[in-house]
Amino acid sequence: MRFFTVIGVLFYAAIIILIGLVFIVFALNLLNPTDISSFLGLIQSNLNSRLITGLSGILLILISFSFAQLILGRFQREKTIAFTTSSGQVTIALSAVEDLIKRIAGVLPEIKELRPDVIATKKGIIVDLRVVLRSEANIPDLTERLQEITKNKIQEVLGIEEQIIIKIHVAKIISHEDKDKKRREPEKEQPNMPFGGYNRS
Amino acid sequence: METEGSRTDLGSIKIHKNVIASISSLAAIEIEGVKRIGGNFKSVLLELAGKKNLAAIHVEINKNEEVKVDVPLVIRYGFNIPEVANKVQENVRNALEKMTNLSVKDINISVQGIERG
Repeated sequence: MRFFTVIGVLFYAAIIILIGLVFIVFALNLLNPTDISSFLGLIQSNLNSRLITGLSGILLILISFSFAQLILGRFQREKTIAFTTSSGQVTIALSAVEDLIKRIAGVLPEIKELRPDVIATKKGIIVDLRVVLRSEANIPDLTERLQEITKNKIQEVLGIEEQIIIKIHVAKIISHEDKDKKRREPEKEQPNMPFGGYNRS
Repeated sequence: METEGSRTDLGSIKIHKNVIASISSLAAIEIEGVKRIGGNFKSVLLELAGKKNLAAIHVEINKNEEVKVDVPLVIRYGFNIPEVANKVQENVRNALEKMTNLSVKDINISVQGIERG
């Protein structure tokens, strides 16, 4: 698989270098547009050369697809937590763990919004939490509680004994006043309709 | 797309991969804690076209007639994932062995998400 990856990378590098060279040659006036059109005309005039060009196009598309799939597949595979049972392998998508953590926001009323980002490393699982708090929250208390709850929930649901590191970033603190303002603003912004009061009983 | 099949006096019996996928899907859904079978791009397209969501379940049958099944799952919130995954693996294995007589090599579970309800 590694061999094909190297071939794919070299192939793309070669294509991009070739395109770059064509641009440079064109910019330096070393290549006339008439030369290009005569070359294209030559290809089109002969059935064999047309066939070769068409097949090369199909081959290029196929190579691009397989290469893209290889890269995307690799990225998808890395984003999981895996363990093996007697019947086979179980992989848990990190996005599933993120879904799980998002549910915790409902448990703590002081949390307005919670955006988790989970990374699985050799050391363990690193959870980055970006939170928006309500103003009445005591931050040290709340963050400690949040870390504890998140850690326990992950251990309970995933059943893993690996180290779980939870980092919290308080992104915003909103007050009830802000909320009230937002509610009032739309009322203020309503435009006065001219003659709106007439003909209404 | 099919197993090599077993030979009887009257002819041969072949089991299509879709049948194995279908059994696996039904056996997985039976387990409490499984919300639904997960999906991929292909299965979403097929579902839009009105086909059953079986494309997401990948079935492989090797030369020795051993079956390997990859089942993507979405788990209900509040359930222990390894426990649910284990139960699904057991149930799928039992269902496949009981209904097809094939030997099951691997049942790989991939948990794609967690949903409430």
